[in-house]
This record gives sequence, structure tokens and C-alpha cells, in this order.
Amino acid sequence: MLTAFAQAFRTPDLRKKLLFTLGVIALFRLGSQLPTPGVDTQAINTCLEPALDEGGIYGLINLFSGGALLQLAVFALGIMPYITASIIIQLLVVVIPRLETLKKEGQAGTAKLTQYTRYLTIALAILQSTALIAIARQPGRLLQGCDLPLIHDVGAFGIITMVSIMTAGTAVIMWLGELITDRGVGNGMSVLIFTQIAATFPQQLWQIKVVEGWFVFIVVCGAGLVLVAAVVFVEQAQRRIPVQYAKRMIGRRMYGGTSTYIPLKVNQAGIIPVIFASSLLYLPALATQIGDPTSQWAIWIQKYFTRGDHPIYMLTFFVLIVFFAFFYVAITFNPTELADNMKKYGGFIPGIRAGRPTEEYLDYVLNRITTAGAIYLGVIALIPMVAIGVLGSSATQQFPFGGASILIIVGVGLDTVKQIQSQLQQRNYEGFLR
Amino acid sequence: MTETAEATPERPASDGGRGGLKGLPSRIGLYYRQVVAELRKVIWPTRKELITYTVVVLIFVTIMIAYVSLLDLGFSKAVLKIFG
Repeated sequence: MLTAFAQAFRTPDLRKKLLFTLGVIALFRLGSQLPTPGVDTQAINTCLEPALDEGGIYGLINLFSGGALLQLAVFALGIMPYITASIIIQLLVVVIPRLETLKKEGQAGTAKLTQYTRYLTIALAILQSTALIAIARQPGRLLQGCDLPLIHDVGAFGIITMVSIMTAGTAVIMWLGELITDRGVGNGMSVLIFTQIAATFPQQLWQIKVVEGWFVFIVVCGAGLVLVAAVVFVEQAQRRIPVQYAKRMIGRRMYGGTSTYIPLKVNQAGIIPVIFASSLLYLPALATQIGDPTSQWAIWIQKYFTRGDHPIYMLTFFVLIVFFAFFYVAITFNPTELADNMKKYGGFIPGIRAGRPTEEYLDYVLNRITTAGAIYLGVIALIPMVAIGVLGSSATQQFPFGGASILIIVGVGLDTVKQIQSQLQQRNYEGFLR
Repeated sequence: MTETAEATPERPASDGGRGGLKGLPSRIGLYYRQVVAELRKVIWPTRKELITYTVVVLIFVTIMIAYVSLLDLGFSKAVLKIFG
């Protein structure tokens, strides 16, 4: 199996893509460590450690920005604004007719939608970076319990420079993500969020050992392994709908007569619903940081939406995941189009008429399968929170997104490995997955 | 062109779904049974497949985490040296 990894690097085309992706990841990490001009790096370093030990909200924010946010790095905002923007645009496509016609226009329309997503990302980035710096300029607000000033120049010029640099950083991240999608391996957005989580994952795991000791650490690791296997198990499960192609003569040649199947994954939506749900739930936590932390709504949010073990939080998370699972399947999988195509090429599902009935049948199966898939996603994302909550440890605070981060990491890992695999197979190599 | 798929009189398992105006619990029950029926037709991965995929994913993820941690270590040291 390890030879397959070596083989992947021996194939020139694939090697280029892999190295490109690794290079982009390196750039991304560099930007996440590079401080924005005007930031007092030393002060941040002295303040960061006690704040992180406290866990809770800082752990949450730190996990999802890959540690860059609290360091006020150039890439402080991470890939989040881009993800949020694309969620908003995809939701708006359903609501606003003009955007819907754009989407139906095909490639030109999609390009236009991508353009809108980029503009929205920039707008969100300006908003978030302004808010972030507004907090950071007051000593003791961003990293509570530490009164050192974090920013040298708190005048208008310094602030404007920092905001524009962070916004530019977000634009660069967006570009890096699109580059990975185009010329690298895997989907850029997922790979970058994978990187962000991977950056804080070891720390978080170690925190459990430090706080809880070896026993809990080993139990958590074992549970993690089981979880990984469970995720792989469901991701690989397919409902195969048989399709029979009619034999027909075109000119002097015989076509068709083959039978294939349409593979419907149990979890057709993949990990996108989890990414969407987590990034939406991350917003209120961020909002409390930006707003006045002593005001009533902020206290309310702190109470219900920043602790992974609170029932209301878990319920919201679950509902969001289920919603996005259905939503994402609905926008990516189009039974009408599939049924039309099958009809055009003389294919049919045995026992079902071509056209409308086929479409209805596909819809029927898809809805039933997605119900199971969505519930699976929600449950997997919640298991660690519930389990650690039951164990009665404070580790939940250090491991707030346990289930979600494992889902994202395994999901992206599986997708990427499969993509490498299919590229290897094109060249007749055996690949990893025998 | 389109006179392909000749209709077959029976269609397995695809009816139901909108079974009249029965009560809500019975409709949920029906839906639940339909979900289970579809899940029975799902092809689950074999044990061997599962083990291979899990191991490969674990190796891949470990390599990536190691790579990212190494990068972070290097960059944070460099940043501290230059700006600290």
C-alpha cells in the first residue's frame, strides 16, 4: 500500500498536482502565521497561552480558524468568509428568481454566480476584519485576562491598513482554494478547511491528555478510530439502481443492450452539510466576541451556543445538518435531468416507465436514502459531544467540534485519496485500494 | 427515437408514499418502513474493503497532520525570530 503512495509521486502528471497542492497548503499555513503589520507579536504570544488553557469559546474559534484568528495573522479570517458566502449564495439561488435563471443558464450563469460569491466574500471579510480589529485594539478584550496592548498604532491609519490587509488575505485564500480545485487534488474549499482543522487537531487531542490523563486519552483515541471506521463504512455504502439500455440500430451498427446502475450514496451530500452547519454555528460565537460580551444577547449566546454539550446547541446542530443534507442533495442531484437523459439514450429502470415515472422513482429512492444519510451525519457529529458529556469531563470544552472535525477530516481524506486513486488507475497502476 | 422502455405492468415498491389522508403517525410509520426497505437494498462495503479504506485514510490523514504541524512549527519559529 505504501508503494502506491510512492507510485503516486512517480506518475509525472499526478506528482505535479500533489506537489502543487502541498505547496498551496504551505503558503496557506505561512499566511496563517504571518502577523498583520502593526500587531505586537510578543504581546500576543504571552497572552495566548493562558487564554487557550481556559478553553471554551477560544478553543472553538481557534479550531475553526486554524489558530490564525487569535494571532491576528494576515489570514486571520481563514476560509470561513468564503464558505459563508457560498452558503448564502446557494440559499439565495433558491429564493431569488433572477439568480435561479442565472443558474439554469449553464456555464456562463455559473461563472456569474461564482463572481457574486467572491464579491460577497470580500464584503464579509471587510465586516469581520473590522470587527476583529475593533476588539483587538482595546487591551484585554480579544484575549481576556491580559492587559497588554496588542496593536501598536490604534489610530485611523493603522486600523485601515490592518483591515485592508486582512481582507486582501481572505481574497488570497479564496484564490488559493480555487487554484487547488483547478490544478491540484481535491476540492479547494474542503482541503483548506481540512488544513485549518489539522493544524489545531494535535494540540486539542493533547489537551485532553493533559487535562484528563492517559486513560481518557486512550479511550478518546479508540473511540476516534471506531468513528473513523464508521464514517468510512457509510461513505462507501451505495444504493444501486439498475439501468437497462435498449438495443438499437443506428446505421449499420448495434448500440446499447448493456445494463449498468446509478450509484446513489447513502450519504449523497458528503461532508458539505457538516461544514455548512458548523460554519453557521460558529457565527454566533464570533458575534459575542465582536459585540459587547456583557450584554444580554451575548450572555444568552454564551450560555446556549458556545458549549458543545448543551442540549439546545446539539439540537440546533443536528437540525442544521439534516436541513443542509437535504438541501445540498436537492441542488446537486437533479432527477428530472437524469430521467430525461436516460430516456434520450434509451435507458430505463427495469419495471418503471421512462420519463415522469422514472423521475418520481428516483426522487422516491433519493428521499428515503437521504433521510437515513442525514440522520447518520447528525448522529456522528453529535456522538463525541454526547459521549464526553456523559463521561462527565470538562474535555468537551477543549474538544468542542469533535464529531464535526472528525467527519470533515475523514471525509476530505477519503475524497482526496479516491481522487488520487482514480488518477492512478487511469495509468493502469493498482493504487491504494485493492 | 424514444419508443424504448416498454412499460411493464408491475412496478415494485414504488407506489405508496402518498397514501391518502391517513393520520400523521401512520404516515410516519409508512415512511419509516420505506426508509428501512430502501436501506435493505443498499450495498454495504465488505469487511476487507472497510479495513483497507480505513487504514489508507488514517495514513493519509496522519501524513497531512504531520506535514501541517511541521510547517507550523517552522513558520512560527521563523515569525518569532523575525518579529519577536
